[in-house]
Amino acid sequence: MLEACVFATVLFGFFGIILKKSLVMKIVSMDVMSTGVIAYYVLIASRDGVFTPIASVGQTAYADPVPQAVILTAIVIGFSIQALMLVGVMKLSRDNPTLESDVIEKNNTL
Amino acid sequence: MNVLTIAWIALPFFIGFVVYLIPKLDRYLALGMALASAAYATLVFSAPTPVTLQLLDNFGVTLLVDPLAGFFILTNALVTAAVVVYCWQTPRTAFFYGQAVILHGSVNAAFACTDFVSLYVALEVLSIAAFLLISYPRSDRSIWVGLRYLFTSNVAMLFYLVGALLVYKASHSFSFAGVQNAPPEALALIFMGLLVKGGIFVSGLWLPVTHSESEAPVSAMMSGFVVKAGVLPLVRCALIVGELDPIIRAFGVGTAVLGVVYACFEKDTKRMLAFHTISQLGFILAAPEVGGFYALTHGLVKAALFLIAGVLPSRSFKELQEKAIATPLWIVLVAASFSISGFPMLSGFGAKILTMKNLVSWQVIGMNLAALGTAISFAKFIFLPHKKVEKPEELGKVNRGFWLAVTLLIVSLLVANLVYIEAYTLGNIIKPLATIALGWLVYLLIVKRLSVKLPRFLEQFDQLMGMMSLMLVFLFWAVFAT
Repeated sequence: MLEACVFATVLFGFFGIILKKSLVMKIVSMDVMSTGVIAYYVLIASRDGVFTPIASVGQTAYADPVPQAVILTAIVIGFSIQALMLVGVMKLSRDNPTLESDVIEKNNTL
Repeated sequence: MNVLTIAWIALPFFIGFVVYLIPKLDRYLALGMALASAAYATLVFSAPTPVTLQLLDNFGVTLLVDPLAGFFILTNALVTAAVVVYCWQTPRTAFFYGQAVILHGSVNAAFACTDFVSLYVALEVLSIAAFLLISYPRSDRSIWVGLRYLFTSNVAMLFYLVGALLVYKASHSFSFAGVQNAPPEALALIFMGLLVKGGIFVSGLWLPVTHSESEAPVSAMMSGFVVKAGVLPLVRCALIVGELDPIIRAFGVGTAVLGVVYACFEKDTKRMLAFHTISQLGFILAAPEVGGFYALTHGLVKAALFLIAGVLPSRSFKELQEKAIATPLWIVLVAASFSISGFPMLSGFGAKILTMKNLVSWQVIGMNLAALGTAISFAKFIFLPHKKVEKPEELGKVNRGFWLAVTLLIVSLLVANLVYIEAYTLGNIIKPLATIALGWLVYLLIVKRLSVKLPRFLEQFDQLMGMMSLMLVFLFWAVFAT
């Protein structure tokens, strides 16, 4: 059930990236998608238990610390990339106030 | 050797920061880093056994530097050196050199690591550095092109992360060896990420715009080594897991043919080179065992071609045909074009022969077609009119750095012949010559007169995203079926 919710989040984010017109909304959708991915890591980490992995008497159901450590790195990278993208979008917004990606694309590349 | 490997991986990031602190030394530090990598690559070739490192226990980072990676590292070092020399006399700030060194370092890290998490980190650092380099001129156009690149690669890497987790779930380790018992969906997700990063097949269609709209030195780096950071892990997966080998080979053929078809009909020099990069990446994947040497020759030659294309008076082939280019420029252009078409004397010949020899029977027709297409598309450069230069002003934007950089790349191409000197037999020499002659004939009789304009519909941003989902479904079935 939780897994289904996580995948729904990833998919909603992905469709948002495709369907939304505005660049800012696309970036927000990407954030939704990465939230889904992070949640999936946390979910897999808690397969064997949810307790913090600190050795204590009578406790065996520890959460797996490895995926959590990995996703911490990914969170930091993800947010720095988003910050960088938003700076780029701020620069673009001066000449393209609506920030519609297809208009920007038509003006700049095709 | 172990300590040296770690120091070599950490050094570019350290230098990247030092460049900001001592901006006056920027060029020297960047060039020094490239030379250090080149020296390290020669050490790798001379080492009796490959360097394997396992930091911490089985969750930790694993590194593997073997001769296969050595070729990629050498490409990286030579292209970076050439780009720094090319930029020496231009008014670029320390920021540019700092990012170039960090890009160099992240690509090195991506070549050396053999676990999915280190690879993820290396690839993300690479995207950020590449974005900053692409948008260095800070025009609207360059920012949009950079943003498009960063967006595409980041979405692909999110899928990749899910795949990496599924591998971990199956085998409690992130190392490449874990793909053996991973479920098909994990492989599909990871491959999708790497295919997008590496610019392979239809998921690589972000590449033409990015490579053609960046400045010449940045395109040289992007085409020379950045896309190969996604290709080497694919090659490694194919070598580790035998069942994946046919899928990777099939992608190789598909990519080689697709890229070359676009390249034949392209009317713009830089876009033609970019599409041709896609096709050459296919050649690397078509024979994974010997992909290293091909990557080296392609990286050198494509960097040289992008640097030359940057100083040509126009980007359109039509205008270039009406206006003669200076003979010295034409000579280096033809030398590079000959190498990439597989003409003997230059190492493109040896690389093509070696790849063709390691093909499986069903690949042969496709790859020969792709080789023919290469000859056709580079005939466009070879048959350009040229004239002698009377005044140095006629050479345009060319300076001493340009000549040094291009000479370095072409001399390296000549020296790289030694890697596979056995290729020089009579039978081996006749076949590429026949292919090139046929290619020129087709160009002069047919392609030159055609004015087909292939649609750019698939290169739109939204289409790139949509293509990822299609690719994911396709990959899932491909992996599932084997």
